[in-house]
Amino acid sequence: MPDLASPWDDPDVTDDAASKLFLESVRLASRLASAAGRIREAALLVLRGDVLTCIAISGAAGTGGRGPYRISEYPAFEEAITTGRIVDDATRVVLPAHGESGVVGLLVIAGAGGLDDGLRDALTALSSIAGLGVSQAMAAGELQLEAERSRRLERLKSEFLNIAAHELRSPLGIIRGYSSMLSDGMLSEADRGVALTRIVEKAEEMARLISDMLETARLETLGLELELEPVDLIEVIDNAVQAMRPLLGANHRFAPVAGCGDVAVVADRARLNTVLTNLIDNAIKYSPDGGEIEIDCEHDDRVVSILVRDHGIGINADQAHLLFTRFGRLVTPETSHIRGTGLGLYLARESARLHGGDITVAPTHGGGSTFRVSLPLA
Amino acid sequence: MEDDVKVLLIEDDVAAAEMYRLRLVADGYSVVIGHDGHEGLRLAVDEGPDFIYLDLRLPGLDGFEVIEGLRANAATMHIPVIILTNYGEPELRERGMKLGALEFLVKADTNPAQLSESVERAIGPRALPSI
Repeated sequence: MPDLASPWDDPDVTDDAASKLFLESVRLASRLASAAGRIREAALLVLRGDVLTCIAISGAAGTGGRGPYRISEYPAFEEAITTGRIVDDATRVVLPAHGESGVVGLLVIAGAGGLDDGLRDALTALSSIAGLGVSQAMAAGELQLEAERSRRLERLKSEFLNIAAHELRSPLGIIRGYSSMLSDGMLSEADRGVALTRIVEKAEEMARLISDMLETARLETLGLELELEPVDLIEVIDNAVQAMRPLLGANHRFAPVAGCGDVAVVADRARLNTVLTNLIDNAIKYSPDGGEIEIDCEHDDRVVSILVRDHGIGINADQAHLLFTRFGRLVTPETSHIRGTGLGLYLARESARLHGGDITVAPTHGGGSTFRVSLPLA
Repeated sequence: MEDDVKVLLIEDDVAAAEMYRLRLVADGYSVVIGHDGHEGLRLAVDEGPDFIYLDLRLPGLDGFEVIEGLRANAATMHIPVIILTNYGEPELRERGMKLGALEFLVKADTNPAQLSESVERAIGPRALPSI
């Protein structure tokens, strides 16, 4: 018998109902075959998508990826799957287990070549029962997945309602307030200028919030698709800096961008812009006393890193991993008043990962945080 | 005179504080701004405002803790307080009113002109001309 089970990584496959049913079928088959004095080993193989699960009568069990490739290493297995018929090659008998969607598994009896008709009929009946069981278990698994997906969407919906209730109200309050003061005609010319600037800034803040919410919903339900093109890194960094400049506090300033010239990446321009604006937004919000926000690049032949560094509150190292989870804001007495949806860093890292890169965070020397976006070079 | 009426705004959002200040000053009030809970409590003592607008989400002390601090100090315990926040949950409203806030206003639903109306309602006689 091939050692399909031994090198695999998950020994817990017998936990699900389908696997238990397979195992029971194999045991029965094994007893029958043993009674005929013919059996050396028996196993049940189930291919679900790319994942192959194997349960052997000897007790070995495992599951692993690249299932079709593993199957293709055994011509008898492949033949049984393709033809849907029993293959008996003198060293083993391979019986296809038929489910509602075709062959869903294989019952493999090793050392049982040349079965007599009675034993063959009994094993065929067992493999049919196993096939039906697998089908039903798979359908139950699908239902479970669907239920989990619907619970996840329900959670997302309530989290979005919470954002709409709190985070959108804040810029909306400013827009409505200044608009009413403009329409009252009570503002001086200088104050009218301030009012219009604030209205534009807050409308942009709302647009960013809504766009983050939509991106999250898309990511959770459909997955994001990138529109890749060659992008000049300094150009996209400059655009992000310009877009975020109005949000700088009185004591903030951008240091000159360093080391990012003459670097091109293949990226989705809009999403790369979102990654950078979300990181800059974060740097501004979490350095409430101001300070420099520095952006620079490092690269070798394979990877370019964009570093966004602030000198603000900083992040507790044991909690850093939570930062990039959805709604994973770190709320401490120092940060509880800082507005945020907990979506910006999550989306930024998901986008970076879709590009084949990543985002990590480390403390800035002397206080604050440094976020590193790494992207593969074309 | 209205000019004598001093309003303390305890608000960490710079854009919101500036907007409310503009409106209240235009309506004849003098305005001081506290950018966090601790500064708000200190200004309540040092400046002796006639009236306080209080945000709930603040650095340092939150708005509820600020009201408790105001009520615990004889010098500030009688200053009328209106909560002005982005939160509209009934349980927060109830908590604020129990602590003695006069009103609980949600920013997005509150026109800045209403701020002066609320001050007038609260301390009307003092806002009237003294002649």
